[in-house]
Amino acid sequence: MVALPGENTPAEPSSYDDDGKPGFFARWFYSTNHKDIGTLYLIFGIISGLIGGFLSFMMRMELADPGIQFFTNEHQYLVYVSMHGLIMIFFMVMPALIGGFGNWFVPIMVGAPDMAFPRMNNLSFWLLPTALICLLISFVVPGNANGNGFGGSWVMYPPLSTTGHPGPAFDFIIIGLLAEGFSSIFGAINFITTILNMRAPGMTLHKMPLFAWSVLVTAFLLLLALPVLAAALFMLFTDRIAGGTGFFDPARGGDPQMFQHLFWFFGHPEVYIMILPAFGIVSHIVSTFSKKPIFGYLGMAYAMVAIGVVGFVVWAHHMYTVGMDVDLKAYFLAATLVIAVPTGVKIFSWLATMWGGSIRFTIPMQWALAFIFLFVVGGVTGVMLANAGVDAYLHDTYYVVAHFHYVLSMGAVFGIFAGFYYWFGKMFGVMYNKWLAAAHFWLFFIGVNVIFFPQHFLGLNGMPRRYVDYPEEFAIWNAVSSYGAWITLAGVAFFFLMLIEALILNRKRVGDNYWGEGATTLEWTLSSPPPYHQFNTLPRIEDNAEH
Amino acid sequence: MPSNKKTMIILSGVGIAMLGLGFASDPLYDTFCRVTGYGGTPKIADANLTEIIDRVVTVEFDSNVAQDLPWKFRPDQRRMDVKLGQSGLAYYTVENTGDEAVVGVANFNVMPIKAAPFFIKTDCFCFEETVIQPGEKLNLPVIFFIDPQMDEDARLEEIKSVTLSYTFFPTEAGTMPPQMTATATN
Ligand code: HEM
Ligand SMILES: [Cu+2]
Repeated sequence: MVALPGENTPAEPSSYDDDGKPGFFARWFYSTNHKDIGTLYLIFGIISGLIGGFLSFMMRMELADPGIQFFTNEHQYLVYVSMHGLIMIFFMVMPALIGGFGNWFVPIMVGAPDMAFPRMNNLSFWLLPTALICLLISFVVPGNANGNGFGGSWVMYPPLSTTGHPGPAFDFIIIGLLAEGFSSIFGAINFITTILNMRAPGMTLHKMPLFAWSVLVTAFLLLLALPVLAAALFMLFTDRIAGGTGFFDPARGGDPQMFQHLFWFFGHPEVYIMILPAFGIVSHIVSTFSKKPIFGYLGMAYAMVAIGVVGFVVWAHHMYTVGMDVDLKAYFLAATLVIAVPTGVKIFSWLATMWGGSIRFTIPMQWALAFIFLFVVGGVTGVMLANAGVDAYLHDTYYVVAHFHYVLSMGAVFGIFAGFYYWFGKMFGVMYNKWLAAAHFWLFFIGVNVIFFPQHFLGLNGMPRRYVDYPEEFAIWNAVSSYGAWITLAGVAFFFLMLIEALILNRKRVGDNYWGEGATTLEWTLSSPPPYHQFNTLPRIEDNAEH
Repeated sequence: MPSNKKTMIILSGVGIAMLGLGFASDPLYDTFCRVTGYGGTPKIADANLTEIIDRVVTVEFDSNVAQDLPWKFRPDQRRMDVKLGQSGLAYYTVENTGDEAVVGVANFNVMPIKAAPFFIKTDCFCFEETVIQPGEKLNLPVIFFIDPQMDEDARLEEIKSVTLSYTFFPTEAGTMPPQMTATATN
């Protein structure tokens, strides 16, 4: 049998199993334990990922050939597009990265026994299934004259989201997103309080692991950005009521463009909300498997702070085509390019960490390296789009779709899988099968590249996004892109095989620190899985400790 | 070490402040656009008291009607040459092709956006609600001038023409929002 790196199998099952845990119902439904809530978030993320993935698979099947084959009309296709975006962003990436790994590892990494407000944590989680149900209801209730559901995309611009969808479908989306928003705001308050107030003795902010840093910055972004989305959604809600307000209605003195400003004031920080925790995870993995502390630790932490701060003043790069003044475009162009600087600091620090290290290409390291590579591709297309003149040509084409999928479905999602494999043994106490995990990685890696790389060509050739049909000239690359969806699907199948093998069939136990030397953060000092209540006596962090 | 409760109260305050800012953005945005002429909102004045200078600009006229309004709306002249500071009078014709009386309001906009702060109206049908009986045809006037100060701004040197655009929306009588009937800002 192939030995796992740094494997040290425990003689007897971990203390996890005899810890006075509450019974099944109380444990999982009234849960206040940060690790149980983290697990719930991860399961929730996987379920949402399946729903969102199904929707995108149907879109790819539709687009495999010109003409309309599966969908009854344009509206139904657009409903799939909109729901795919909303579910993936708010119900897959955010719960997995922040709720899942954040809950599991932030308290452990800073040496705290639990989150600051365990019961609020429970509320944060249970708001999410409620919100998802609202979104799913919206599918089956009337949207507009063309059918059920809301087809106005995840950006929800009025008037399409007001007079364009008079039916209740969009009201359900507003309610669902408000619930999701409050869940995230409560979560953010919880994370910030935990990190600021509950660090173990000696754990100064400048010693805190980078994943905790990334969640701290993310939580501030959530706290500052989500209330603005909530306000915008609320205004949409009252605008939709007959005889209600006219915030975004030009007939009543409002301005639909103002919604775009509000949305993107939230929307651009939101994209960093989805990527910063992945930055944190990748830093840990690169350092562990290079057996070196992360290069330029403080630079890495403050690069994230800088990204967070500058991320609030670049929003209108999504709105270059609304007819902005040229000076304003120049400002947003320059500010957007500034973000590439701290982002570059992160990329180079990862490379410098690996430089001269003794690198092990484990499964999590493969995901992390793929993350770095694919994120750079997405970052480069982002810098292209940031140029207002170029964007006038590329805006709302498939080039933008390719850009944000390279940073999201390859950036953020690869970060999620990297973290999942890195901490799999730590969270569940058992090791995955390497061959199933490798099949998952390679099929997924090849699949998403085959899907999204050709979309750069489609966009450069002028194929607009958000249409159910396209002219013959775009047929070839669309067909290729749809083959990629099949490959990705096969990858996802191996993910579930891997889960079944590891969690049900084999259950091969792992020790405390199964990655061995290089894995230095506090979670590796605990058993796998950690005891139900950790750190009854707080750990002390020595002055010379590494990050 | 600050207590968790205190931290939570401060953070909740931050969240609520951002929520308030989100709502406050509506009046802020309106005021900002009206005062600066930003985003193509033309300015309004009581009278034209400026001097006329020799630079000529072509004003083009554009018209639109909201989808759910059965009106025909056309400018009587496509374009008009005016000197900076000179008052221009233009007419639009609007006709109700539906079978009910409808109240409409016109929203306006000037392109290019950077010229908007210098495009000033002294009288306009868009200051009031317009009621048209079925089949009725109306002539609607607008009086405007372009502020000669435009000549002093180097960024506007290349401006040879500006477009004044209107869109008619249906409304209910007496509900016209105050900012659209705004009085003088300069
Ligand atoms: C170097 C960093 C980046 C730059 C310069 C950049 C720039 C841009 C620009 C200019 C657009 C607007 C394109 C258009 O609509 O015409 C855009 C769209 C987008 N970007 Fe980025 N971006 C960067 C990183 C990211 C990251 C890290 C994410 C998410 C993890 C992201 C997610 C998105 C999304 C979702 C959209 C499309 C939004 C929509 O219209 O639906 N970007 N980006
Ligand atoms: Cu952006």
